[in-house]
Amino acid sequence: MAGAASLRQIAFYGKGGIGKSTTSQNTLAAMSHYFDKNIMIVGCDPKADSTRLILHEKAQDTILSLAAELGTIEDVEMEQARLWGKGLFDKETPGGWINCTESGGPEPGVGCAGRGVITAINFLEEEGAYDEEGLDFVSYDVLGDVVCGGFAMPIREGKAQEIYIVMSGEMMAMYAANNISKGILKYANTGGVRLAGLVCNARMTDKEYDLALELAQRLGTQLIHFVPRNNIVQHAELRRMTVVEYSPYSDQAREYKELARKIVYNDMKIIPTPITMDELEELLLAFGLEDEVDESQVGKAAEA
Amino acid sequence: MFVLGFHFPASMGNQIPDELVAEKIAEVDISDVKEIKLLMGTKERDKEWLSYTNKDTFLFRAMVHYFKEENPEKAQKYMIYMNRYQMSAISKRVDAADDETMKLCHHLDNMEQFRIEVA
Repeated sequence: MAGAASLRQIAFYGKGGIGKSTTSQNTLAAMSHYFDKNIMIVGCDPKADSTRLILHEKAQDTILSLAAELGTIEDVEMEQARLWGKGLFDKETPGGWINCTESGGPEPGVGCAGRGVITAINFLEEEGAYDEEGLDFVSYDVLGDVVCGGFAMPIREGKAQEIYIVMSGEMMAMYAANNISKGILKYANTGGVRLAGLVCNARMTDKEYDLALELAQRLGTQLIHFVPRNNIVQHAELRRMTVVEYSPYSDQAREYKELARKIVYNDMKIIPTPITMDELEELLLAFGLEDEVDESQVGKAAEA
Repeated sequence: MFVLGFHFPASMGNQIPDELVAEKIAEVDISDVKEIKLLMGTKERDKEWLSYTNKDTFLFRAMVHYFKEENPEKAQKYMIYMNRYQMSAISKRVDAADDETMKLCHHLDNMEQFRIEVA
């Protein structure tokens, strides 16, 4: 595997729309700014929004789009595909730095989106991106859950070693978290991938902390952090910035700093113990996210 | 595994016994603190000050520790949500007999933001 022995390869997985890209960029920004960590982001989402807050851009050119434009992947130069972060995250700025890549994907409805991830990682390895001097972390930001083999590539090929699942106290987010754990379990023994914790990107619903904690414990892992909802995240995004850069002394920046600290020092990397659908439903019932079903009424139409 | 911000080695598993967490804060000096003041809420009209004075509890000690950590100026401090929820969860087990503490835990469990001061 490319990269120094001390290089840590982490990934943020979670249900689409849960706030993975926002959470990962803000957390990685905090790891770089407060803890002097040097990071490469590999965005694995076809919509290419995993790096925009670090680059202060709408979206960078993806590796797949560059390959399409130039003819083949062999025609793509590293300087085109990998951009250095702006502001606090530039290589020339004191403290840690962040560089950014996006895999990209095909037009909707055409081809396999996961192929972009495979192509991008192979390209970055061949071009020596993992051997950049001083690189501490590679972070993959991965769409959805792992039902598609292509998106499981960072896990399957043993690239990402520690997985952080971004979730919330809503049913589909928990379902996805459990599914991703199943994917990790599948490749844990062959590739060495481990679950490193759940990050609750809170919707601020009742009992959300308790629910996230319970799921984490059942999966055999930790709830590494509960990130509260705060409008300052959206304010920062409007300026295409992370909260750490937009308002470094804000309460929300302190939350991301704490999550960053925990990831930097985290040593809990486990093979998860996914739960069954029945157990998940019981959990949701116990915390009031689902109503008890009267079995005698199942399948009956409403009375006129 | 992290509890109240303290790191416990992974070999200890994902459920740390309360007494081990209590050991971490055993050394904190609470002799100079008579009262903990908590500002609950963010919207001006809904802000509420809560007072807590029961020094014989895990919760009091945990809060003083949180306040004093990296706070040499003793300035009002934002409470990290996760730490607050963890303090409450442990307190509900180890301080269960104290009604004042249980009432405060009920507040700490909500979604409002908290700031802490001591007097």
